[in-house]
Amino acid sequence: MIFAFFNKWIRGVENFGRFSRFIWASSKCISATAMQPRTYPLIWTQMNTIGVKSVPVVMATGAFVGMILAVQAYGQLAAMGLEERLGVLINIAVVKELGPVLAAVMLAGRVGGALTAELGTMNVTEQIAAVESMGTDPIKYLVAPRVLSCLLLTPALIVYADLLGILGGYFVSVIQFKINSGAYWDYSAMGVEFWDIGTGIFKGIFFGGAIAMISCYKGFTCREGAQGVGEACTEAFVGCFISILALNYVFAVVLDAIYKTFWPLRSLL
Amino acid sequence: MIRPDIQPHDGILVAKNLVKVFGQRTVLDDVSLAIEDGKTTVIIGTSGCGKTVFMKHLIVLERPTEGQVFFRGNRIDHLRPRQLADIRTQFGFCFQMGALFDSLTVFENIIFPIQQHRKITDYKALDELVKHKLALVGMDGYQNQYPASLSGGQKKRVALARAIALNPQVVLYDEPTTGLDPITSDIINELILKLQRELKVTSIVVTHDMKSAYKIADRIVMFYHGKIIADGNADLIRNHPNDLVQQFIEGRVSEADLAALRLGGTKYQTQFLPEDFK
Repeated sequence: MIFAFFNKWIRGVENFGRFSRFIWASSKCISATAMQPRTYPLIWTQMNTIGVKSVPVVMATGAFVGMILAVQAYGQLAAMGLEERLGVLINIAVVKELGPVLAAVMLAGRVGGALTAELGTMNVTEQIAAVESMGTDPIKYLVAPRVLSCLLLTPALIVYADLLGILGGYFVSVIQFKINSGAYWDYSAMGVEFWDIGTGIFKGIFFGGAIAMISCYKGFTCREGAQGVGEACTEAFVGCFISILALNYVFAVVLDAIYKTFWPLRSLL
Repeated sequence: MIRPDIQPHDGILVAKNLVKVFGQRTVLDDVSLAIEDGKTTVIIGTSGCGKTVFMKHLIVLERPTEGQVFFRGNRIDHLRPRQLADIRTQFGFCFQMGALFDSLTVFENIIFPIQQHRKITDYKALDELVKHKLALVGMDGYQNQYPASLSGGQKKRVALARAIALNPQVVLYDEPTTGLDPITSDIINELILKLQRELKVTSIVVTHDMKSAYKIADRIVMFYHGKIIADGNADLIRNHPNDLVQQFIEGRVSEADLAALRLGGTKYQTQFLPEDFK
């Protein structure tokens, strides 16, 4: 039993080492790919697949998040006579945490799964080996455009999620619960700062990077057969989901410390 | 014929004392082989004997645990990926299942290596080049088809056209006739001979199809459990004294394997009775 535990631990360390090397190799290729105009068509293609086609699903996620928040919070705020402050609660929750995290989770499911399945199938049918045999670095050709697209477009998709979240919350609050529209926006404007919106979008770069790196790595290292590809997709989604939440926690701590230290100083500038 | 004292300049491609270990399993056990320039070398052996792994070492798709690989006298097994990229343009690799890119058309598959390594300025010339490569393998007119719409034999022919897109000096074929009907297999054999004749390439073919091996080989090398047990021309292999070689080329099962099968059958009958499943 101790031997089995030790073996599992060693395998975990090995796997982490391989993943770190993969991230390092990918990071080196990303900058090279970004500088080479002849790789831009590959990036556009991935941007269309990863970004443009994800817009409707991310918008729907954002809209429902805003609407649900309005429904859940209204009762409690109305009991205290604070229903006009519903806007600040919804909008801060959407732009700071729920919009970015849920948009990233939705992307992990939609894009991460597709990336792992595509690269995993290429791996088991020797297409990745074929790329390598023709003197092309598979990380540069297959991983870098996907990672770049995720890095660039996740923040953009978060903007869509935020926008629809805000609108969804507004319509439920104003139309269904008859809250005064002017008061709703006034309180929102008082409570939501540029810092909140900016940090929410900024986190998207890291969420996108985590989704692309984990999904591509799982695709590149998946075992043979349909079962191998299926397992890789599941592992990729679970890995992405946990990474998004863990990164979000790290950002919550770090950004809060930065905010408390530096944001009040802006008035001096 | 088996020479353990092989030197880097003994052939266009030289593997010296190659050892490859996967986990606890030794797949290649001190293999040394020099591939002659301009000739067709066929590597035969039972499934899992290490012949495909050996061929992947020749293009450094696998790195050896021990030993060295030389191309035109220069060691290549220790090179970095970027340095290997230039060397790999002198190789064409035809994978067992073709390994064509599903998302690209036949045309795009063939121009892939050209796009990666040459600066394309004249697109009309590129069309002509693709047409010429496809005509060589009898697939001209299929440029706009996707691999999913091609048969197994057609996929292998397109893969062959892609493998020769950069006019390589060496073409490696991994079981080119596996899974094909006898007529299509013979077409592939004829294509390998044609390419070798017309393009003067060095061919290395991994197969367990003896009919194909006899037809295309200048030299046949047999692997068994990660070692070379026979090496020579078709006649030498046909009359080889080693019983393992004879069993393989005749497709004859050994007495030991038959005994194991009988034992397996007896066990099955005695272990599971119909009442066990009631």
